Amino acid sequence: MHRSHLRFLLVSMLAVLALVVAACGGDDNDSSSSSGGSTTAKKSDAAAPGGTDNTKAAEVEGKKGGSITMLAGSDVDFLDPGRSYFTQGYMVIYPTQRTLYSFKPQDSAKPVPDLAEGEPEISADKKTITVKIRKGVKFSPPVDREVTSKDIKYSFDRFFSENVGGQYPGYFSSIEGAPATPTKGVKDISGITTPDDNTLVIKLKEAAAVPVAAALVMPVTAPVPEEYAKKFDAKNPSTYNTHLVATGPYMVKNDASGNAVGYKAGKSIALVRNPNWDASTDYRPAYLDSVNIRTNASDANVASKQVLDGQSMMFDANPPANIVKDLATKIKDQYTQIPSGGYRYFPINTTIKPFDNVDVRRAVLAAFDRNAARLARGGKFTADLPTHFLPPDFPGFEQAGGYEGPGYDFLSTKNEKGDMTIAANYMKKAGFPSGKYTGNEEFLMVSANVDPNKAQSEVAKAQFEKLGFKIRLRLVPQDAVYNDWCQVPKKKVAVCGGAGWFKDFADPQSMLEPVFAGYTIPKSGLNNNMAQLRDDKVDAAMKKAALLDGDERLQAWADIDKMITNDAPAIPFVWDKTTLIRSNNVNGVANGYYTAWDFAWTSLK
Amino acid sequence: MSTGASETLLEGGGVDLADESAAEIAARSPLELFWRRLRRDKVALTALTIVGIMIFIGIFAPLIVKIFGLPNPNTQNDDLLDDFGSPTGPSGAHPFGVDERGRDVLSRVLYGSRVSLEAALISAVLIVVIGVTAGLITGYFRGRIDTFVSRVMDLFLAFPVLVLAVGLGVACADGCLGGVIQPGLPVVIFVITLTTWPYMARIVRGQVLSLREREFVEASRSLGASDRRIIFREILPNLVAPIIVYGTVLIPQNIIYEASLSFLGVGVDPDKPSWGAMISDATSIFQDAWWFMVFPGLALLITVLAFNIVGDGLQDALNPRTSK
Repeated sequence: MHRSHLRFLLVSMLAVLALVVAACGGDDNDSSSSSGGSTTAKKSDAAAPGGTDNTKAAEVEGKKGGSITMLAGSDVDFLDPGRSYFTQGYMVIYPTQRTLYSFKPQDSAKPVPDLAEGEPEISADKKTITVKIRKGVKFSPPVDREVTSKDIKYSFDRFFSENVGGQYPGYFSSIEGAPATPTKGVKDISGITTPDDNTLVIKLKEAAAVPVAAALVMPVTAPVPEEYAKKFDAKNPSTYNTHLVATGPYMVKNDASGNAVGYKAGKSIALVRNPNWDASTDYRPAYLDSVNIRTNASDANVASKQVLDGQSMMFDANPPANIVKDLATKIKDQYTQIPSGGYRYFPINTTIKPFDNVDVRRAVLAAFDRNAARLARGGKFTADLPTHFLPPDFPGFEQAGGYEGPGYDFLSTKNEKGDMTIAANYMKKAGFPSGKYTGNEEFLMVSANVDPNKAQSEVAKAQFEKLGFKIRLRLVPQDAVYNDWCQVPKKKVAVCGGAGWFKDFADPQSMLEPVFAGYTIPKSGLNNNMAQLRDDKVDAAMKKAALLDGDERLQAWADIDKMITNDAPAIPFVWDKTTLIRSNNVNGVANGYYTAWDFAWTSLK
Repeated sequence: MSTGASETLLEGGGVDLADESAAEIAARSPLELFWRRLRRDKVALTALTIVGIMIFIGIFAPLIVKIFGLPNPNTQNDDLLDDFGSPTGPSGAHPFGVDERGRDVLSRVLYGSRVSLEAALISAVLIVVIGVTAGLITGYFRGRIDTFVSRVMDLFLAFPVLVLAVGLGVACADGCLGGVIQPGLPVVIFVITLTTWPYMARIVRGQVLSLREREFVEASRSLGASDRRIIFREILPNLVAPIIVYGTVLIPQNIIYEASLSFLGVGVDPDKPSWGAMISDATSIFQDAWWFMVFPGLALLITVLAFNIVGDGLQDALNPRTSK
């Protein structure tokens, strides 16, 4: 290559590099999606100044009409209410599908009847639930007919099939006739019956009506018309996802034959009004005329700035830390904070030596500078430091000790930045007289290659190294972190570079059981109990507590929370608050259940 | 570009004659002439000093950090971040400021030179060795070997280099070739070498093709010299000049190449700070923390520029005619 050409090329490559914005801003994938909890954090560390009070915003009588553009860093997982299990999916599902029960923005602790006409009737033996279905709710075009209880039964039936593959069968496994493994094709579940068009009866194998009734807020309870959907559900995987109909105030734009033309995977989703929605049957105001969601806004920094500087826009998830700083110090407006109703943690693989020793794990927790990890996600304005697992304002939180927690020395409010003395004591107890780990092997930590997960895992790596552990940090694409690594026991990931668990509904069982019960670890497939905790005492207590209700139930699960904390299977490092941003002219209302903007309540100013 | 070594001798001798007294007229070796010309090029000498300093820093980075009392490049310090996680800027204790984890940027820039130089120099050596060998064999022997290897080289040259490099880097994230190539720096060196040797080989091949037709090669052959003798005694010495020139251009090219790969997240070893990775991390907070991108960027710029100028100077010193 000619010399001067080469030099020109080198210098211009350098200049181009310096100008290219690198990071893919994409937001974090949480292992499950959310539910329950209340709207205000009572004694939280600090609320960033200037945020909008969500309850007040929901009371505002909004202006009808207008359109909003939402910028989203990732696509929905599914539009199909039987398949979705992800915050972004819920954000589209709840304004378009009516579930039996749902949450108003003003109260995310107590669900209200939505498609149901009243509270669920629970039999004395706690084995039967009866729900009355509201009259006058119709499916969107092209189905156009009134919803009956049979449509909800069909929703459940298809949920248990391979073709649909519902992702949370565990919550409904106690229904009589519920299969242990997904069925080939849609089969009838004998425990769900419809004595008439407006009554649904669910029979259970055991006295578990309380948690099952609490779970009737989940998307699976949205009705699906069998005569229309069965040809799609006959395929494996079902193609109902791109041919779905709606019952809510909005729907994914479709054509006359039911094709969801408004859904361009990875690009955009167009929501329009559902012409068959009857406002008199619904508590939702539905001010907006349409919503356009752009699902390829992968640079969170760029997208956030567009939303804040532009008009009629919203951002789907937490903005990056520097934007939060601008919100709190300069803009002091245009955002709403709600408790995320979950905890973020670094699971420690309890099957890998020496982490099978509980004192080693306690040492790790004691040494861990959780404040630094929280800073990697935006600092104290966006989260509180946990002292146990059940998050603020969630049923059972106060019984488990509230913000102070059970008060173990390795995880307390007095030890936010890590205490090496306490850590050394636990290491000595575990058989390492120097107070540090002396082995030579490298432990694998896997995390996403984008911030904030990348940043928080770098902090975690340094914290482990303080105690003498050698960590190999492997950065992989966001969607591979759990599916290919952390949730696959064979991969022997010693520490997952961050995971989150968010409420599925307002019941503590769903917060603790899927993540820490030894009996939920599957023989094959993806494992939610990434720490692979197998504590027989915890498992037994969980099985007992699942059958209780009322205050007894909350106390029992709070005690389990303390037991799990004592086992130190993970380092919980934030109880976070979701920060949602909007343009100036948007009266944004957030839904505390699925912690995202609620299209059915938001309006333009 | 290259000429026979004998011709340079006459050029140099003519210019210097005016400075000598008649009694001191003596034949100068090519090396002496080369050195004299280089010494007269002030810019190249400055650049050479800078290169020397960079290499010194690269070798002695840990010592320098210790002597100046700078923190370890991997020590995170969240006290230096504000409530929102933004890093603090240049100050007495941290002349280049800190990054988003509270790590000292000056230390990381110093240590970053090791990664850049190691990757660039090692791969440059490998590229020269592989490229020259391939170029010699294909250029001298021609025939089927030439056809086959040349097509392979064309294949590599046709590929967009960075795309190929990223693909290789990701595929080798756990190590390559059955564990011979370990993840981290070895993967980077492997990727750089594999995608760059064809350029060297092509140039060398071109040179060899013209050299083998020259009279002195013919003369050697008619005297009964073996192929091996011709290659090592006649052709290779005439290749030294272009090899040196292209080799010195290779080094800054490889430094940028390694920075690009780290910038894109390929071959990054989180334990070793790298200028490219630092620039990449800095892009999202550039508006709030300019020091985090500016200092590694400057380091990269100065190093690359210095190597380039040295390369130019060497070229001028070896072939004064081309400097006109």
